[in-house]
Amino acid sequence: MSEIAETGHHGEHEHAHHGSIGPYIAVFVALCVLTAISFLTNMEFWQKQVPESVSRTIMMAVSCAKALLVIMFFMHLKYEANWKYVLTIPAGLMSIFLVLMLVPDIGLRTDNGLYGYSKERWRNVGTGLIEADHGDHEGDADAPGSAADHESTEHESSEHDADEGEGDSH
Amino acid sequence: MADSEHGHHEHIQLQYEPALPLPNGKLFMWLFLSTEIMFFAALIGTYIVLRFGAVAWPTPDDVHLVEVIGAFNTFVLICSSVTIVLCLEAARVNRAGQAKMWMFLTLVLGSVFLGVKAYEYNSKFSHGIYPALPRGMIYEQADLEYVAAVRTRLADLAQELNDEVALTERLTAEQAQLPDEKQNLPGEIEELQSDIKTAQDDLAKLTNAEDADEEDIRDARSDLKDLEAELADKQERLAEIPDREAYIEAKLAELASRKEERMKREDRITEIQAEVREAERLAARNPDDPRGALAIQDLALRIYPLHSQAGHGEDHDGGHGATLGYNDQDPWLRLPFVIAGGNMWASTYFLLTGFHAIHVLVGLIVFALMLFVRLDASRSVGVENIGLYWHFVDLVWIFLFPLLYLFR
Repeated sequence: MSEIAETGHHGEHEHAHHGSIGPYIAVFVALCVLTAISFLTNMEFWQKQVPESVSRTIMMAVSCAKALLVIMFFMHLKYEANWKYVLTIPAGLMSIFLVLMLVPDIGLRTDNGLYGYSKERWRNVGTGLIEADHGDHEGDADAPGSAADHESTEHESSEHDADEGEGDSH
Repeated sequence: MADSEHGHHEHIQLQYEPALPLPNGKLFMWLFLSTEIMFFAALIGTYIVLRFGAVAWPTPDDVHLVEVIGAFNTFVLICSSVTIVLCLEAARVNRAGQAKMWMFLTLVLGSVFLGVKAYEYNSKFSHGIYPALPRGMIYEQADLEYVAAVRTRLADLAQELNDEVALTERLTAEQAQLPDEKQNLPGEIEELQSDIKTAQDDLAKLTNAEDADEEDIRDARSDLKDLEAELADKQERLAEIPDREAYIEAKLAELASRKEERMKREDRITEIQAEVREAERLAARNPDDPRGALAIQDLALRIYPLHSQAGHGEDHDGGHGATLGYNDQDPWLRLPFVIAGGNMWASTYFLLTGFHAIHVLVGLIVFALMLFVRLDASRSVGVENIGLYWHFVDLVWIFLFPLLYLFR
């Protein structure tokens, strides 16, 4: 009985494998290499050379490639009959649609969007730290001249400011 | 069962033609996975929208996210995908032992993934990074509200130390009083016992007397009862004294051993309190004066240094461990800290990885259960189904890893 079942299955997946694990190993290696590529975009030298948007695109392309490899070979979708389209395409379309539907709601509401954040939202949004820091840097970047030792100038200036403050209060 | 064996030819007349050329179990699994695709698409879509709609987002360093660990976990999941597919291959050709070995390996790899995940979670929890209501320790910006929170936390810490001192005093006083009590109690008890005896005698006399007043008897009875209660109380206290003494001694020893630490903490708290006061003074003077904001910001950075803030030139990266915040130097402080966008980061990170981890856990449970089953060809559909599920879990992680760890 199990013999029959076995042959039945083999008929279904005839192209997939002839008892060899070769294709799986190839896919495994490809997945590892692709992971390494997306990890590479995280390295410092890469980030200096390549703009962030390019890196992101590469990472997403790599992820899609990996997903396709997993779906096609590990999940055997490459060798399935046509029912696979019935089940996967609607789900895929709907999920893409779902993500796109969310974008205008929040994604466009940045400063460059048509509908920016309200003033109140800006006030409560977590940029206080960064903005104040920026202002400080722009202020005294001209004075010492060099942009190389930003860190030290920042600390000196803030200490200096604190001293001044004490002087004022007395 | 019969659905999977459409190769049956014994009962020609009753031959069953499935509508779809695949077993029902597998059909179910694919239907389930297509709903799962939408589930995770919704989560990932929400994350993308929230993240790229956010004004500020922390860098991985800021939130103790280590990319290499994430990459390692990706590798582990890929390996487990290979092992489960090899398990299916073995089961199909009826090599049950081999199939079980691959299944076991998959279980191990999945457990490694979850273990690493737990380690990662812990490294965030221990730094106070987690979503919480009404709010956690993460503040969005270094403003007066933030300094006030730091001040409150410091006051609470100081109060804890004060409580310890007060407890020490109270226990010392009680300890000094206990020997006296121990000495006096036996005498008091004896006295009471003799009192009770006389009361009993009086009561007996009263009840025996012919012209006894009902009320007198009742009074005498209640007096006796009171005396007996008092006696029981004193006896109990006497019996408890040795235990109490031992407890006080142990507690005092514990408190004394913490004294040095307590002094150190007191000093540290006073130090930071002075910094907080200074920052608040500067900030309160004139809201438009940037020096106040800078003082608060400096304080925030000393409590919790942000790598994105320390040195805008990336070349200073050599001193990665050099900048330890107050919270790292003294973990007991647990002061509130500032990460712009940190709360949203925590919410999305834990939601996405949490849901993924739950899926991993479900897979592991099924793997563990299947270890008790003989994985021969007749079970290959079951193996294939859990394999499909597992590959899907891997697939989700393939997208989560770059989105959560690598995007800057």
